[in-house]
Amino acid sequence: MRALRRRAGAVLATTVMTAALVGLSRVPWAATRGEAGELRVAWQYKSQPVEECRQATPEELAKLPPHMRRTTICERRLRSYLLEVAVEGATMLADTVRARGARADRPLSVFARVPLPPGGYGVRVTFTPVGGGHAPLVAETTLAFAPRQVWLVTLDEERGTLVARDR
Amino acid sequence: MSPRLLDRLRRPLAWADAGMNRLYGWQYNPLYHSGVIAAALFAVVIVTGLYLLFFYRIGAPYQSVARITEDIWLGQWSRSLHRYASDGAILFAAIHALRMLVQRRSWGPRTLAWLSGLVLFGVIFLCGWTGYVMVWDIQGEVLAREGARWMDALPLFSEPISRAFDGERPLPGAFFFLNLFAHVALPVGVGVVLWVHVARVARPVLVPPKRLAWGITLVLSAASFVLPVTMAPAADVFRLPGRAPYDFFYAFFLPVTMPLAPWTVWVLGTSVTVLVCAVPWLTRPRAEERLPPSTVDERSCTGCEQCYLDCPYEAIAMVPRADGRPYLLAQVDPDLCTSCGICTGSCAPMGVGPEGRTGRDLMTAAKLFHDAHPCGGEVVLIACQRGAGGVGYLDAFDGSPVFTVSCAGNLHTSVVEYFVRSGAGGVLVASCPPRDCWNREGGTWLEQRLFHDREAELQPRVDKRRVRVVFAGEAERGAVREALAGFRHDLAALGPPAAEVAPEVGAECEAPVSAMIGDGR
Repeated sequence: MRALRRRAGAVLATTVMTAALVGLSRVPWAATRGEAGELRVAWQYKSQPVEECRQATPEELAKLPPHMRRTTICERRLRSYLLEVAVEGATMLADTVRARGARADRPLSVFARVPLPPGGYGVRVTFTPVGGGHAPLVAETTLAFAPRQVWLVTLDEERGTLVARDR
Repeated sequence: MSPRLLDRLRRPLAWADAGMNRLYGWQYNPLYHSGVIAAALFAVVIVTGLYLLFFYRIGAPYQSVARITEDIWLGQWSRSLHRYASDGAILFAAIHALRMLVQRRSWGPRTLAWLSGLVLFGVIFLCGWTGYVMVWDIQGEVLAREGARWMDALPLFSEPISRAFDGERPLPGAFFFLNLFAHVALPVGVGVVLWVHVARVARPVLVPPKRLAWGITLVLSAASFVLPVTMAPAADVFRLPGRAPYDFFYAFFLPVTMPLAPWTVWVLGTSVTVLVCAVPWLTRPRAEERLPPSTVDERSCTGCEQCYLDCPYEAIAMVPRADGRPYLLAQVDPDLCTSCGICTGSCAPMGVGPEGRTGRDLMTAAKLFHDAHPCGGEVVLIACQRGAGGVGYLDAFDGSPVFTVSCAGNLHTSVVEYFVRSGAGGVLVASCPPRDCWNREGGTWLEQRLFHDREAELQPRVDKRRVRVVFAGEAERGAVREALAGFRHDLAALGPPAAEVAPEVGAECEAPVSAMIGDGR
């Protein structure tokens, strides 16, 4: 009788532990809470190089060996851009996007997210070169956000404009 | 790390052990076999994974997994077993690590095993993680995004990896190829690390008992039929992930890390990693509390090699003698010796063992014990200090005086002989169950020395009916009580014991050796 009870207990315990293992392998969970959607702004941009030159001072020249003395010092860098995201006229994001990489010579990577509750919104995204150079890239549109929907504003490289899409 | 803290952590484990012993018997207690079960389940994962690999398509990950689940012969069963076995592997690996931690078996010579075990754990974890990304359902996407978010915090990449999941461009096939490559390549490394993991133990056990291995495989197979894995919604980078099933064993950290900034996650993760890697140093007793390694009395060593054979940690080597005697000499490597004292019990002439726990030391202690507790026909209870229902911490248990040894394997059979011949009604040795011996093989060798003529065997002149062994875990005092009662009942039928006055057990053990060595000791 005792052995039978022990066996029944073992079967029951095995069943419970297996069920626990199976249950824990499929725990329902939501990685994002609520029903908010997301406005995503993402693209890669080959920024224009900017060269800034100045005359070397006599002190600077004196520090250099004669064969390396150049009177004009030029520094090349990639132009930075100001990214602005406005929703219903309110600025949600304003950030300077700089060239990436250890030497800051890699393309700019625009990458931002703005959570938005479901609904329709007038959205304006501008990408303005710091210090001028060319006209800003602008996307201005009305987007309807369903629950958890993501709208992506990205660069249409062929047309050179910003576009919004949800697929 | 405070010993008190470890003791507190050990208590629930001891209760769980006791419960499992009651249900399955100590031979098949899955908690005792946690390490080998993890290895066996990983083997199941590999076998089922090879089958699934035939049908997986990098170009259509979710669709191919859906096809496996719905159309392929035994596809759903294989996939379910693949998942449940990988869940079991990580679970049992965690239990195994916890056991080693709370039993303080993770420092000194065991440091290598601890650190390589952590690597194994990490590899299994990464295998699981990449496996879930391969499915490319919601959980896979969330895991991939979270990993990318962490990596983006490092100054390694010229553009954020996270952008790959933002829908700007289709997800590159290279991503799934790399993921698949990692998922398949990582297990290859497991074999190498496993070899390192067991490199410092003798006779490593790599597979669980057959009944247990088949039992677990069958149970998980049955679960795979009854509660098979289903397809979660597909990943969609244009929808934020809603409620979906997550595997707790591989995604448990998500609720903790997702709200945190990536740098905080790195700091937290690095801290936890450093902490677990430092366990061998944190759990190491202070120098004055550390037990000394075994030493060899060269005059007594007969070169029989028994201690060399019995040492569970390969800490003993047989080397040529310097004194010209025609046999080898046992030599202990103190860096490998865990001071388990098992060599004490293997040496008939009592020439090896840790200081204070050699056969001679035990005999001295036994004589003092006998003087303090004249037997008078009562059962003497010899208890392992670590398990055995905690009886080893008592002076007496249920009317029987308790003689404590550091490990059942440390017990020299001469001590048992001494008690029996001194008039004890019987000797009950309470040992940890063999698979839970803190020194790996103490209980196993003890039983063989007492009843199966393993050196140093219990002499035939001892009435073995008066000697018994009970295997009991730390929280199984009831089992010791029951065994003691049963033993007393059986002893009653034998009648009163014959007592000798001060039997010279130790001298009898040494006599042949002295004669052989001829050193006039």
